Amino acid sequence: MFKKKVASPVVFNIKSRMRIMGLLMLFIPLIIFIRLFYMQTFLHEAFASKAERAIYNYLSEDRLRGKILDVNGKTLAESVRTHSCGISKRYVKDKNKTVDFLAKILGLPKKQILEKWNKHSPFFFVAKKIKPDVYIQMEEMLHTSLGQGLELTPEYERIHPYGDSALDILGTANSKNFGLSGIEQMFNKELSQDISKKRAKHARRGAVIYDRKLKEERSVGNVYLTIDAVAQYYTETALQKAVEEVGAEHGVALVQEPKTGRILAAASYPAKDGQSLAFQFTYEPGSTFKTIAIASALDAGTVRVTDSIDMDGRKWEVIKGFTVRDNQHKKDYLSVPEIMQLSSNIGAGKIALDLGAKNLYFYIKAFGFGSKTDINFNGESKGSVLPYNKWTKVDTVTKGYGYGVAVTPIQLINAYSAIANGGVLMQPHLIDRIEYANGKVEKYAKPIKIRNVFKHPQSAATITKVLQSVVENGSGKRAQITGYNVAGKTGTAEKLSKEGGYGKRSHVVSFCGFVPATDPQFTVLVILDNPAKYTFGGTAAAPVFKEIAQPLLARKGVKPDQLDFE
Amino acid sequence: MPIFKIMFLTAVLAFGVVWLRIEVNRSGRTIGQLQNEVDIKEARNQYLKLEILRLSNPQRISQQAKEDFGLTPIHPTRVVVLDK
Repeated sequence: MFKKKVASPVVFNIKSRMRIMGLLMLFIPLIIFIRLFYMQTFLHEAFASKAERAIYNYLSEDRLRGKILDVNGKTLAESVRTHSCGISKRYVKDKNKTVDFLAKILGLPKKQILEKWNKHSPFFFVAKKIKPDVYIQMEEMLHTSLGQGLELTPEYERIHPYGDSALDILGTANSKNFGLSGIEQMFNKELSQDISKKRAKHARRGAVIYDRKLKEERSVGNVYLTIDAVAQYYTETALQKAVEEVGAEHGVALVQEPKTGRILAAASYPAKDGQSLAFQFTYEPGSTFKTIAIASALDAGTVRVTDSIDMDGRKWEVIKGFTVRDNQHKKDYLSVPEIMQLSSNIGAGKIALDLGAKNLYFYIKAFGFGSKTDINFNGESKGSVLPYNKWTKVDTVTKGYGYGVAVTPIQLINAYSAIANGGVLMQPHLIDRIEYANGKVEKYAKPIKIRNVFKHPQSAATITKVLQSVVENGSGKRAQITGYNVAGKTGTAEKLSKEGGYGKRSHVVSFCGFVPATDPQFTVLVILDNPAKYTFGGTAAAPVFKEIAQPLLARKGVKPDQLDFE
Repeated sequence: MPIFKIMFLTAVLAFGVVWLRIEVNRSGRTIGQLQNEVDIKEARNQYLKLEILRLSNPQRISQQAKEDFGLTPIHPTRVVVLDK
């Protein structure tokens, strides 16, 4: 009667239902588990950094900057940590009390702070370069209601303990300790270090809780110059005095050690941050260049020191329309030393012509003119020496007395140092070494011989004798130093005028020499650009040479090379 | 009973972790304060050193020697070097 119930393949008894429910309930945690596993295993880094960013802050530590020091380790530039104080106006509780406090502690007029308050919004700086003593008092106040809204931000001040001394070489660095000009810019990488970062949690009222150091500081370097701060002082003082006396537009003075090529002093006046005229100024050297032409001719053998040169009645017509005159003497013949002593353009021009354009060009290049000295100073000029195949007869003649070539002070002093060094041209150096905090030392100022400029070893001694005679009997008498033989040459060069041609109104006077002539210790170059009144190298620049060299000889304790000087 | 033991140990462990965390924070805070003090003292020290350098500036010394003591630079021929 009754139809027999067909048994279902799935038995829905209590046990089965519980199993199904159990599986279903396990399924959701399983999904979650898989998801978590995936996140923790494959997305671990992304989530970890997200969490770290939410909790921690990375605080920059002191961005230290290395020092610049002189050769004896005297600090010329150093960074000190200061603070700037700013106000977030909306967090200040009592405007009057805060302004009173700031005026008192910073020594500022209340009115000045209030003016800034009314002008700027919502944040403004009240003071910068706050010194540590003031900072301590302010920092304590930050934790009180009076300090609310005040912000003290660390910054850096580049201090020059010797004032403006060598500022044209050192250059500047900004409050973020970044080099902007001069050595500061050129060696910014060595002087800087990466910001050291520390992991920290922020706490109440700007306080921080340090966690652990994250990044090691890169070793910062101290740059040692070849400059001697005392020599620099003598040079700058003498130069400034001379520039002001003759009313010159600019002045440049350099001191070099001829045997090593090291620059002991490099002064420009007026000095501009990071703009050193010693390396960047180019000019036609005039008579100081006669030394190069005549030394070359003596070495090449086209002239002998005993030869007499015909002065053509002190009016030499090189080509039609171009005449060289000597107005400073009345002689018909001059020997080579006399040409230098009286600074005869005719004599130097004739000697250059005899030497020939090609030879003169190669000697000029051998002395280092027309190319950079690689002294490592930004903006160094290479001067200008045209190839000899572009020279006319007049060009060869004028080059003999220093026209038609543009040189830099560093090139000229280095050439004179080569003569002082027996004809060996040395690589000039301005950077002595870099010492890193980890003890590593990079030596820069190793004496490097570039070349021997003379073919004959006695040529240097011969031209030195000639230069000595210039100081003993010629135009360089005012460079004489009692007890010492000085070798040098004066220069008075007219400058190209804007209208074209050379004008008497605008000129450059100079003196370059070395002392003691028998064993040179210092080569000194003095240049006075465009003096207000017409003057000569022998009267304006030679005394400056003496003023610079004399204290340097005393400082180094150089023995006199004259026997009967008392 | 073992479940209570496990729960107790877990609680002790959790307490220890929290206590350690607090101690780490406290130390971090102290380091922060000390670091600040060190920075300030270093900066003050640096200022004092720089002051010494300023005072040893050749310009200042020579000016003082000239004005206060009437000294003039010695001529190099009068310098006797005892040892080099």
